[in-house]
Amino acid sequence: MALLNSILYDTVYHSAPIILCVIGGIFAYKANVLNIALEGMMLNGAFVSVLVMYFTGNIFLALSSAILTTLIWGLIFSYFGVSGSGNVIVIGLGINFIVPAIAKFTLNMMGVSNISLQNISVSDFKIHIPIIDSIDIVGSILSGHTFITYLAFIGIIIMSVIMYQTKFGIYVRVVGENEEAAISLGLKTKLYKYLAILLGALCAGLAGINLSLERMCMYTNDMTAGRGFIAIAAIYCGGGKPLESSLYAILFGISRALAVNLSINAGPMAGIFDTIPYIIMVSVLATVSYMKFKNVRVRGYTF
Amino acid sequence: MRNNNETLKHIINSLIPVILAFALGAIIILFTGNNPLYAYWILLKKSLFTSKGFLDTLHYASPLILTGLAIAVTFKANVYNMGVEGQMLLGGFFAGLVGSSISVGNPFIEKFICIIVAIICGMAFAMIPAILKVKCNVNEMVVTLMLNYGVVKVLEFLTTGVFKDKSAGYVATPTINDIAMFSRFGKSRITAFFVIVIIVLIVMYFIMKKTKLGYEITAIGKNPEFAEACGMNVGKKIMVIMLLSGALSGMAGAGWMLSDQFKYTLSFSGNPGLGWDGMLVALLGGHTPIGILVASIFYAALKTGSDSINMYTSVPKEIVALIQGIMILFLAVKFLKEKK
Repeated sequence: MALLNSILYDTVYHSAPIILCVIGGIFAYKANVLNIALEGMMLNGAFVSVLVMYFTGNIFLALSSAILTTLIWGLIFSYFGVSGSGNVIVIGLGINFIVPAIAKFTLNMMGVSNISLQNISVSDFKIHIPIIDSIDIVGSILSGHTFITYLAFIGIIIMSVIMYQTKFGIYVRVVGENEEAAISLGLKTKLYKYLAILLGALCAGLAGINLSLERMCMYTNDMTAGRGFIAIAAIYCGGGKPLESSLYAILFGISRALAVNLSINAGPMAGIFDTIPYIIMVSVLATVSYMKFKNVRVRGYTF
Repeated sequence: MRNNNETLKHIINSLIPVILAFALGAIIILFTGNNPLYAYWILLKKSLFTSKGFLDTLHYASPLILTGLAIAVTFKANVYNMGVEGQMLLGGFFAGLVGSSISVGNPFIEKFICIIVAIICGMAFAMIPAILKVKCNVNEMVVTLMLNYGVVKVLEFLTTGVFKDKSAGYVATPTINDIAMFSRFGKSRITAFFVIVIIVLIVMYFIMKKTKLGYEITAIGKNPEFAEACGMNVGKKIMVIMLLSGALSGMAGAGWMLSDQFKYTLSFSGNPGLGWDGMLVALLGGHTPIGILVASIFYAALKTGSDSINMYTSVPKEIVALIQGIMILFLAVKFLKEKK
């Protein structure tokens, strides 16, 4: 029972950063500028928040500078990708290269292998919800997470509303589906692409803060470990729909939680469990795509 | 004449990002309190302007040429095989296992077997995203990226557990047999593997410029719908391209294992790995074989120089990775419009 409890708690815990990346990334996906820089942006959020916290000890400054720098990466991405009409995949790769290099460079200059914060502890960030906390099992699973973790789950609803109920969401989708039509309607297509990418950057930055500052109070190199790419896989599986894509993100959370909890009892086999999340995501992606295109009857190769 | 003009534009489009990246890098070096010109001189002096250093650079460039070609054949067809790193690791790992456990006596056959095994491993890995893309319409980029993480973890598990060399003081697989190793020419690190790489490069040049497959790669890259409509079996061609890419990556891993590393350690391909370096090399070389040759020598010089930069200045060697990232970012944008 304790094992099941901790698996469920970890599911919520591991899903949150990926959900954030997913609900931010879907807008860029829908606007037809696939943002594979989510990984680098998330790492930027993780790095800057801990770095600023380490030097200033001011939590507000740490959060705002992390979000601001991530937005700057978003601007760089959109400037090169939208205004400069460069290859977005190559730009994304570039950002995914630069951010970890900056982090390693800085850590090397400081002469440390990772930054861990002394004056603040993980339990400071945990929020215990009053009523739910007292319920037996539910309390131990749902309560005691950090603010951004809750924000991630609330964000699913917010982003669904933005995507389907607001002008902004509709315009972003129009821009992605048929850019010529959008231009002929007089929409500023570039503006919507910029905004979609920036929204993704904002969420990725939050995910990074969640990953490093809130959950562990420390930064280690390459700590995002491909979560940004997993988010992209989840976006593909869910076809860019906020709810569906988030469900796939939670699926990854479950597999990650399983891997972590099972490996405690596995002894020397533990290493192999780390591959479970990646294998599950590939299999799910394959199955979903197969189901989707099963009934498409076009001669030859479909696009 | 017009053709010359295009080549010139091509070269300028590759040079501008390099210059910009070095300029930005110089600003960062200034902030660390060092002289950027001196740092760059250190970076390139040994690796390009001494004969031993230059031969060493050629040695380090050899796997990069192969991974660069592996990326170029797929990127040129707008198929994003990001799994080159994983394919290379897999090839290197199994080449090392075969090289240490099987001994046939003849050094040529021994090396041949190792390389063939690595090529098969690379192709098997590339087969998964290729089949998924063609049969199930799965985005190959996401699959290869995910499988990379998976492969790294699996190899880490195998190296620390099943295949760990008990006699070694650190985590590594057993060292390969002497007959499987490429021997060095003279004092420098360069081996016969470089010669093999140059032969492969010439073959790839021929394939990409003169054969039907090369033409089809370009056609698919420009407009897959049109290629399909013209009667090209695009799905099948994508499989062929991915397999070719996997074979090249696997071979890169085998070569790196047999000519430099001799055993699989967790830092086998360095940081960032040879596959990722290959991506920069391919982009810098404009996806053409000759461009890749030049770019990989240039990049290998940077990489070998990064060790001396740490020794003679107080600039962290991550500056090279930083410059690499900035280069990729600028390479995404074409500064001069090229003819499609």
